[in-house]
Amino acid sequence: MIIEHNSQIPRHALYWILAAVILVILPQMMRMPLWISFIAILCVTWRFCISWGWVSYPSRLTRNVVVVFTLIVSASQIRALGIGLDSAASLLALGFVFKLIEMHQKRDIYVMLSLCFIMSMVAFLYDQSVLSTLYVSTVLLVAVGALVAVNRSPFEQRAASTAKLAVLIAAQALPLAVILFAVFPRIAPLWAVPLQNNVSSTGVSDEMSPGDIAQLGRSGDLAFRVQFSSHLPPLHENLYWRGLVLDDFDGTTWSRTRASSSYGSATQLQNFQYNWENRVLAEGEPLQYNVIMEATQQPWIFGLHLAQPIENNLYQSRNFEIFNNGIITQRISYDLLSFQTNKTDLFLLDSQRSRNTSLPDTGNPESREFARQLRASVDSDLDYVYQVLAHFQQNPFFYTLNPRTLDQDRVDNFLFSTREGFCEHYASSFAFLMRAAGIPSRVVVGYQGAEYNPFEDYLMVYQYNAHAWNEVWLEGEGWVRFDPTAAVSPERIRLGPEAALRDDPAFMEEALFSSMRFGGFGGVMNSLRLRFDAIEYEWNRRVVNYDQDTQFELFEQLFGEVTEQKVISLLVFLGGLAIVIIALLIVGVGGSSRRNPLESLYLRIAEELDKAGLGRLSGEGPHNYRDRVSAQRPELGELMATVTSAYVRQSYEVDASALARQRQDIKQMRMALNQLRFKLSNLSRFMPRN
Amino acid sequence: MLSLNLDTQSDGRVHVVENSISVQVQEVVQEIGKALLGKEQQIRLALCCLFSGGHLLIEDLPGMGKTTLSYALANALNLKFNRIQFTSDLLPADILGISVYNQSSGQFAFHPGPIFSQLVLADEINRTTPKTQSALLEAMEERQVTIEGETRSLPEPFFVIATQNPVTLAGTYPLPESQLDRFLMRLRLGYPDQRAERELLEMNTERDRVEAVQQCLSTSEVAEFRLKSSKVAASDSLLDYVQRLIAFTRGKEDFHFGLSPRGSLAIMRAAKTWALMCGRSHVVPEDVQVILPAVVEHRLRASTEGDGNSSAALVQRLLNEVDIIE
Repeated sequence: MIIEHNSQIPRHALYWILAAVILVILPQMMRMPLWISFIAILCVTWRFCISWGWVSYPSRLTRNVVVVFTLIVSASQIRALGIGLDSAASLLALGFVFKLIEMHQKRDIYVMLSLCFIMSMVAFLYDQSVLSTLYVSTVLLVAVGALVAVNRSPFEQRAASTAKLAVLIAAQALPLAVILFAVFPRIAPLWAVPLQNNVSSTGVSDEMSPGDIAQLGRSGDLAFRVQFSSHLPPLHENLYWRGLVLDDFDGTTWSRTRASSSYGSATQLQNFQYNWENRVLAEGEPLQYNVIMEATQQPWIFGLHLAQPIENNLYQSRNFEIFNNGIITQRISYDLLSFQTNKTDLFLLDSQRSRNTSLPDTGNPESREFARQLRASVDSDLDYVYQVLAHFQQNPFFYTLNPRTLDQDRVDNFLFSTREGFCEHYASSFAFLMRAAGIPSRVVVGYQGAEYNPFEDYLMVYQYNAHAWNEVWLEGEGWVRFDPTAAVSPERIRLGPEAALRDDPAFMEEALFSSMRFGGFGGVMNSLRLRFDAIEYEWNRRVVNYDQDTQFELFEQLFGEVTEQKVISLLVFLGGLAIVIIALLIVGVGGSSRRNPLESLYLRIAEELDKAGLGRLSGEGPHNYRDRVSAQRPELGELMATVTSAYVRQSYEVDASALARQRQDIKQMRMALNQLRFKLSNLSRFMPRN
Repeated sequence: MLSLNLDTQSDGRVHVVENSISVQVQEVVQEIGKALLGKEQQIRLALCCLFSGGHLLIEDLPGMGKTTLSYALANALNLKFNRIQFTSDLLPADILGISVYNQSSGQFAFHPGPIFSQLVLADEINRTTPKTQSALLEAMEERQVTIEGETRSLPEPFFVIATQNPVTLAGTYPLPESQLDRFLMRLRLGYPDQRAERELLEMNTERDRVEAVQQCLSTSEVAEFRLKSSKVAASDSLLDYVQRLIAFTRGKEDFHFGLSPRGSLAIMRAAKTWALMCGRSHVVPEDVQVILPAVVEHRLRASTEGDGNSSAALVQRLLNEVDIIE
């Protein structure tokens, strides 16, 4: 193969390219199988060795083997992971690093760097946080730097100046990027890649077995953020983020009744909206708040009790749970209205009553006996509830993430022997005791509590805030919330799990910086963490969630009502602006910077004189110009003589004495320019106006 | 109509720096001015041409003082001077010389022609045939002549001042472009202004005044001028300007052909001498502008020859449209 000398890759440029490739691949490595990372490192090393002449480019055979290998790998990937983001990303990464070792010529570099830009965008399919955006920006800068380095002469290869140029170029593109981000139409994709189809769902699920929620307590991940628009948020102990209502108990697991779990087809739930008014007695002014929820791969969302969705694509179920229209695969934002004082379902249908009192036919005999005796000893259902809560409070129950495992009759076991557990144990046994006494009751799962972020005035709810509590139906009151956990561990409800579980080693054991929150650094680190989360929150609100609606809102704020006419005239304006800027660049508005300072000074003086009708003519020599000006305006003669002799000395005398006077001459001309401005403005001031 | 009155243009003398050379030059100009009244600028240009070592072509109507200028130059510079009147029957041998058999010695003896002198005045050069013209022009370029197989050098310095009538007059053989190119300058004298004309009328015959011109410079001084002019500095800015001027003539529709490299060298040579004559050691744009019409007019031809003089208009465009600062 004949390789032209000038098309070979300069070494300093190669280092930039390798740096860009490594930076692009790094975040992928965390998600890809280990052996792909190994191949990537191998290819980078190989290319590095080629540049030093230690090894040669891959032979035809090697390349063919690599192609076959990649085909096999991608087939196996698709089989293992399915057609989706992960298999596509790893295939792209493989092709990317293999291209590196057969990069001979400049043309290949451009292919490589274009791939760099595409590959760095892949990171956004996984994560759109501030940090990853900053990281990708750095990668792009390095890639631009590589482009600069490739096109620079071998004599100008200092990394610092290349980096400076790259930053400069990128900075020039920034305003355009911002404008395009704001005004470019948000068109829904024509096709969609199934994103992360093998990812398990997170957060609270629609089944609750003992240990489920305790598992969430180990996680420090964020569940959602809430901002109240008008009122202050309620007290911590009232922050019950209601998720799902579990009313079916099979002896071990609480789950949603299958009949009402048709949340997949949200259209059916819509019919329910019509008789909402009849079942609800709501008073007072509602709280309005916005929730930004992380992806859960589940359809349900969370809100305070009796939340009414404001948006169109949210639906409410018979039990006042709220569902999104479709699985939540990425971070979503929604607005809710909640009534703080309310009563629901004052009249309970028979079917509802029977469902909420049903228990398995057998099992837990001790508990059933305990419930019957206790109910017989009190007058009303409400008194019975208080008796049960008092039982939890007065006996040595413990609140812990690591309870002993329960066997056969779990409720009996928990209530009378182990007496240690997490919220799901308490909620589960409480509901059992209610139903055993014939009182309708159910388990509600969701989150309780939140962390307040003072920097942007919002609440953060973490996975470890996951909680389970009960709702009991009382005559004349409807469904009333009771939380047996509060009886055992009041600080869990008043202060949050951080306070209640601070000595529990299992608490947040999966979180990376758990020690950061409660460790030795204390306040400073915690405030840093909150500050960072505030930035992340604003980023999500303003940038990631910038969709068609927000775009329209922005336009409305700026230009009033959005009409077709306005959109068209805006587009025409922006297009025209771009054309004008390009035209000016072509005509060479910025051309004067190429001149030496002396010439531009001289021209500025001529421009200044032009205002007085004494402009320099095209092709007029400096002496002739001086003479013409002095003839017309004798008072400017001396000044012109100074300027001209300085200019002529620097432009046309090339001896050493002229060079020695350069600085002085420039200074003189600058002074002359200022004098001229002053003189001419004086002249015009005293000239009679006609 | 045919004569462009050069006096209307700025004469470049305002940029003179007083020193020994400029004073000397001023003396010569004044001395020659005694013979040719009111034509100071043309006299200067003619001197510039000679100091640059170039040949001069004076083109004008009969009776405008062409010959007077030539005589006066020869007198003032004290050059050995021959005049050839070109006619249609003139032969090359009449210019170069001829070997004649000497019966007493029995040998051929060479009789040098009028070309063997320091200053040759070729009067009405376009009245002779191209064959004779080329004999002269070859001598001009080579500064030597080959006669009957023997090469003979011409004296040093060697100047040719040719005069010609405008080609539109009857009975002329116009010089081809290639030969015009060998003259460093072409001057037009033009009518004298009213004051000079009046003075002329009041005075005696022309011939007396030419004889009154005294010698001002020696031959060695002329040679020294030539040496010094080559040392005059031209800055990058100036060379840029000259290059723009040349580029302007090339590849344009209005110009039938652009300036040759010999033409651009001629510009620099003349401009440097002009700067020297003004007492400066560096060239300024005005120097180029003053000599430009004389140096390039005869080297340019307009694509559309509307009237015989449109190359002057082209040079004027050159001066007006090419700026000294890019």
